[in-house]
Formats: sequence, structure tokens, C-alpha cells
Amino acid sequence: MLSRVADALFWTGRYLERSACLARSVDVTFSLDLDLHGVLSNPVELEWNALISMLRQPPPPPGDGEHPVAAVQRWLLVDLGNPGSVMACVNRARNNARSIRGSISPQMWRELNKLHWRLSDGSFQAAVAQSPHDFCEETQVGVLLCHGVCDATMSHDEGWHFIQLGTYLERADKVLRILDSKFGLLERGDAADLPVCNLQWGAVLRQCRAYEAYQRLYISRVEPERVVEFLLVNPDFPNSVRFCLERVLDSLTEISGRLPGRSDSDAMRTLGGLVSELTYLDSEELDGERLHGLLGDSLGRCGRVGQLLQQQYSLQ
Amino acid sequence: MVPSSTARQTGVAPAPVDSASGPEAVDTGSLLAGYELGAAYDEMFDGELQARGHYQQLAHLLDRTPPEEFRRRKAMTDLSMRQDGVGFTVYRAEEGIERVWPMDPVPRIIPADEWQQIEAGLVQRITALNMFLWDIYHEQHILRDRVVPPQLVLQGSSFRREFVGVDVPRKIYIHICGTDLIRAADGEYLVLEDNGRTPSGVSYMLHNRQVLKRVFPSLFNDYDVLPNDDYPAALLDVLKYIAPESAAAPTAVLLSPGMYNSAYFEHSFLAQRMGIELVEGRDLLVDANRVFMRTTRGLRRVDVIYRRIDDDFLDPLTFRPDSVLGVPGLVNAYRAGNVALANSIGTGIADDKGIYPFVPAMIRYYLKQDPLLNNVETFRPEVPAHLQHVLANLDTLVVKRVNESGGYGMLVGPASTAEQRDDFRRAIRANPRDFIAQPTIQLSTHPTFVDGRLEGRHLDLRPFVLCGERVVVTPGGLTRVALPKGSLVVNSSQGGGSKDTWILANTGRT
Repeated sequence: MLSRVADALFWTGRYLERSACLARSVDVTFSLDLDLHGVLSNPVELEWNALISMLRQPPPPPGDGEHPVAAVQRWLLVDLGNPGSVMACVNRARNNARSIRGSISPQMWRELNKLHWRLSDGSFQAAVAQSPHDFCEETQVGVLLCHGVCDATMSHDEGWHFIQLGTYLERADKVLRILDSKFGLLERGDAADLPVCNLQWGAVLRQCRAYEAYQRLYISRVEPERVVEFLLVNPDFPNSVRFCLERVLDSLTEISGRLPGRSDSDAMRTLGGLVSELTYLDSEELDGERLHGLLGDSLGRCGRVGQLLQQQYSLQ
Repeated sequence: MVPSSTARQTGVAPAPVDSASGPEAVDTGSLLAGYELGAAYDEMFDGELQARGHYQQLAHLLDRTPPEEFRRRKAMTDLSMRQDGVGFTVYRAEEGIERVWPMDPVPRIIPADEWQQIEAGLVQRITALNMFLWDIYHEQHILRDRVVPPQLVLQGSSFRREFVGVDVPRKIYIHICGTDLIRAADGEYLVLEDNGRTPSGVSYMLHNRQVLKRVFPSLFNDYDVLPNDDYPAALLDVLKYIAPESAAAPTAVLLSPGMYNSAYFEHSFLAQRMGIELVEGRDLLVDANRVFMRTTRGLRRVDVIYRRIDDDFLDPLTFRPDSVLGVPGLVNAYRAGNVALANSIGTGIADDKGIYPFVPAMIRYYLKQDPLLNNVETFRPEVPAHLQHVLANLDTLVVKRVNESGGYGMLVGPASTAEQRDDFRRAIRANPRDFIAQPTIQLSTHPTFVDGRLEGRHLDLRPFVLCGERVVVTPGGLTRVALPKGSLVVNSSQGGGSKDTWILANTGRT
């Protein structure tokens, strides 16, 4: 397939996933914010600032009298002045898809286009000032629909695998960042903080759409070590880092046309190493310090894989 | 108020009128109530407001459809267009770059016998045009015999002297042609324009049918409409037919300027329907006079290019050096016979507005036949007698620049201001060869949904002709309709919309 097409497919997948992850984070933070009102004195800035720094995004420019939380929500969701906002990501996904709309199924294009028009609606965007929930929900459902339609209507050929590459690489990256932003909480074992801590780790699970799946597996309270273990190395849950990176590895293998484990490309070596480390990780050893090191190292390697892909397939 | 006169006005049974009075009663009135005829030929109604034979069932159905119901269907049509991203990009407009091209849900119907005449006329015309192109790029008999003034061809801006003596594959220059037809006041179909460069619109023809079937299936109940869905397959046949003989399993691609081009929707639509790659100039490269595309698995040979880029931008080494859309070296690869192009290079001279008046003469010259489809009467200011006539009658004529298209650079006399006429008068005097003038033809009208009811709007018809192993005219075409009241300009860039176009099967039904 054309390199340009492969590139656009990769970024379509990546931006779609990015918009859904961000929408979920905003939604969960909004809800957490309301809960924390009861237990903390000034939770607002803490949580929203943590979210912004986790996303490595610039904070919103100082507004004219707008409530700071509303300003952050608008900045992260609908402001096109923020190149990382949900709306900007959906636009980029659509523009990438549009530039190669002949290479995706018409049904997938249609869903993506519908999502774009729904989210672009002025009054729908204005409602974010009251509650960001509907906007976030619409984004997530729209992206899920795109994934479903993509899987059900497109040949699972090279082009489809490039979409998977973008999707799962982005998702792994986001889960790693969410965990990384919370590792500090592991250090504090203060019993007085327990309710807050539970809320916080519950929010981490929800940001990864993992709350119910976690409960089902562990049948216990939210325990930080288990949350980390679940989100990092669970082999079956589609939002765990290991699961995502295994999908990336599968797609890379398919695209390379070689037998599993036989490729000599740098991208596959880098990724394969990381996947086997996660697979054989002894989670008992994960104290805060080691976890921090592992997360940072994994993030770096994911970034490296992205760069190597660009070189190898001369994606622009 | 209106319903009582419905029957007489529209020649169909009146809609059952609710006994309720008040504002609701107006809503139950017929969509066609108060339909007005103008000076133009109306497609649906004759001079007595009786529905023409092939329109009777449709008129009856429209008459029974409550306006509110129709409005709902129209909204479904618009939504569907928007969700499918059936848009185009507008030049010279500030309202953003993406716009949806509105489709009017009332179909235009052409009976089988009328279509057969149109089809035969189009086949005759494309055949003559292709013979003309071969001739002027080789022996130039028609110029020597003074049937066409040589300077019109040789000095025409779209004549490619670089291509004199070049043999194009299968001797075909125009593979894809979109001929604009209009109807005069007596209903005669006339050729307004031949589009033999990179004609657009076929995707709207195909898409309109799909949308109409989805949102308004009941319209189809009383009619046997010929399907038009075969066009992409027929186009692919043409592309394969012209491939270099050395290519056993030829690879065809569609070359597009990219997603910011006004016809990008069409490019991606056709590429997808044919299953070929949509490429941009930067995806291709030429090595040793052979064309390749850059893929994730290295370079892959390209044999046929359906190009949707004008000659001028095709190859910066041969034509405009500032073009970033084209492929350096492509023209030499084409000359070497290593790649085929559709349409060929240099076809623009055949649909040049300055050459247009001579097409009937070409048909007689090459085919020894009388034209089956006539031209619109055309004056050439270059001819002194014509110049007098044109300057004296600017207020009734349509004046067109020879090198403009898309409805730009036109003067529509009856709708013009004195100032505009003065501008054109000066310009025509200065460069008479740059203009042609035609009487203002009141393009035929057709009931069109405007402001909650049906009103007559002017339209034209662009059927699509494919020329490969044989000439194929897809049953149907793009009907473009000028939505502003009284407007005669149907171009999408100038506030036009479109309609589904039905060619009826020769089955005896209606």
C-alpha cells in the first residue's frame, strides 16, 4: 500500500484513540472532582492540574472571568486553539481519514464523519459549560462505533493493521501516563488518606475503563498494587499495557510479512523486548520507586517504536 | 384557498382536503398548488399545466404527498449527504471550504425514446471529437481543408504542440466526456458544452440514486428506472483497455490533487468503487521513463493513470514549472508509451469554447453525417458581422470567455447591469477571439422543492460518455439545477443543486 496511505491510517487510529482517552479522563476527573468535594478542602486545582500535567498539555490561557474548572474543561474538550483537545483530535482523525477515504470502508468514514458533525455542533459544545459528561460520552461512544465498524467492515489486511498500530500504541501510551501520574500515591500508606486513596485509584481504573473488569477478577477493594498489576500486565484486558503492546507486535508482524519472532527490524526488537519484560514481570517487586522507573522506561520505548515505524515505512 | 384550483392548475387529481379549516388546512394543500410556468420548457407540465405522459404518476404522487412529509424526506436527504461527506470545495467563497451539494428529491425523468436519441447523438459527437484530435495532432486535414480555421487551433491556449505526432494508445484522446445538454423552449436538446478534459459530477449521479432509493423509495414504485451503477466498472474497463500492451495485469491509479480539490469526494469515490489506489503527485515518481508509486513495500510499477489534474499541472518539467501537484517526468513516460493517461494530454482544444461552434462541421467532415444533437447558436466576435451583432445585443446574449469554466467569467445579458455590459464591451473589442456569445436560452424548468412547496427551477443535464473498446453512455447523467429563482447558472460553485436523473426502461410502463 502507499506509504502516504499507511501513514494516514496510522494517524487516524492514533488520533481517534487519543480523543477517546482524553474524553474519558475529563469525564472521570469531573466525577472525581464532585466526590472529592466532600473529603478535601481544595481538590479542584489538584485534580485538574494533575490531569493537564499528565497530558503534557499547556494550561488554558487565563480567561475572562470564566470559572477555572469550566475553562479547563472547555480547553481540553472543544477549544481548537488547543491542538490536543478532543475536538482537535477528532478533526485530525477525520482529516487523515478524509485524505484516504477510499482506503477505509465507507461505513467507517460515515461513522467518523457523523462523530465530527455531532461534536462540532455549537449548542452541543456550549452545554459543556454545564456538564462535560454528554460531550465526553458522545466522543467515547462515537470512537467505539468507529472501531466496531472498522473491524466489521474492513479487510484485516495491511491497512487495517496500520490502524491497529496507531490505536494500540496510543492506548498503551495513555495507560502508562495515567499510572505514571499516580505512582506517588503508592508511597503514602497513611490510613487517614484511605478513602481519598480509594477514590483516586478507582478513578484510575475508570479512566482505563477497567473498574468492572478489575472487580470481576479480584473481587476485592481497590488496592493500588493490584490496580497497577491489572493495568500493566493483565493478558486479557483490552486496555492493559501488555494487551495493547501485544496487539502492536501482532500487527507489526503481519505488516512485515514474516513469521512471529523472526523479524530483525529495530521497531520489533524494541517492542518485543518490552512485551516480554511485562509478560514475565514479578509484580510483587513493584514498589513506588521501581514502578516509576519501569513506567518511564516503557513510555520511552513506546515513543521509540513510533519513531522507528516512521523511518521503516517512510511515514511522514 | 389553493386546493380548490389544484386539479385545473396541475392537471392531476386534487389532494383530499381536510374538512378542518384554519392554518392546518394550508398544510394539507398540494405541493404543486400554484405551480407557475415561465417562458421556458417545463419538463413535467405542458402549456396547459397537464402533466406530460411520463410524469403523470410522479405528479400524482407528489400531489398526494403532504408538504410536511416531503420536508421531512428532504431533511433526511440533506442529513445523509452531510453524513456521507458528499461535499465539494468552493473557490472564491469565504464561507469555509467544505460545503454539501444539495440534492433535490424530485427526480428528473427522461423517457426511453428521448434517451435513445440523446445517446446516439453523444456517441456521434465523441467519435467526431476523437477523430478531430487525432487529426490535428497528426496530418491536420481539417485545417488544410479550412473546415476549422487553423489559427483557432494552432493558437489556442489548450493546443499542446508538444504532442503533435505523438501516437496515443488506441488512438483515443477523450476517454471520459461529460457533455452538457440543455433544452430550448420547444424542448429540443442542445449541446451547450463538451467537457473533454477532466469532467466532474459522475459521483453525484451515482450517489444521488443511492440516497433517493434510501430516503424516498416510494417514488420508484410506478417507474422502471434503468440502473446507472455500472459506471465505475465500465470506467475500469476503459482504463485496462488503454494500458500498455507490455503490462500483463495492468495497475491503474487515480491521480488527484488531494483532499482540498473541489472534486476530491469524486476522486476518492471512484477510486474506491474501482478498487484502485488514489494517488497524489508526491506518491509517484518516474525512473527511466517508467512510473512508480511509493508503497510500504518499496516501489510499484504504474501502468495507467486516470488523472484528475489539468494538463498544466501534470508535469512541472513540461508544463507549469511551479506545479507541485504533478509528477516530474510523467510526460516523457507517456510519450515513451510506458504509461497510459486518461484523458490524454491536449484534449482541451476539443472543448475549447472557440472550437465549439465547429463541432457540427466536424461531424459532417469526418463521419459524413448530420449532427443528431444540435449546438446552441453561437456568435464569434472575431467575425466582424458577429461582432456588430454581439455588441448591439449584449443585453439579450450570454457572453462567455473562451478559457474559463465553472460559470466564472460569464455575462448573462438579461441579468446584467449597464456597468457589467460596458466592461464586457471593452473586453470584447480588445480581444474578440477570447469570447463567444449565445442567445440567452431559458433552460428548461422542473418542479423543485423550495420553501415548502414545488416551484419551477432551471436545469441542465450532463450525461457521461466513456470511450474505450466501444463507446458507452451510462443511462442517466447529472442533472444540475439552479436553486435561486430565475437563475440560469447551474454550476455547483454558483448556488446550484442536483437531482437524480431517471432514464426509463423501454418496457411500455408509463
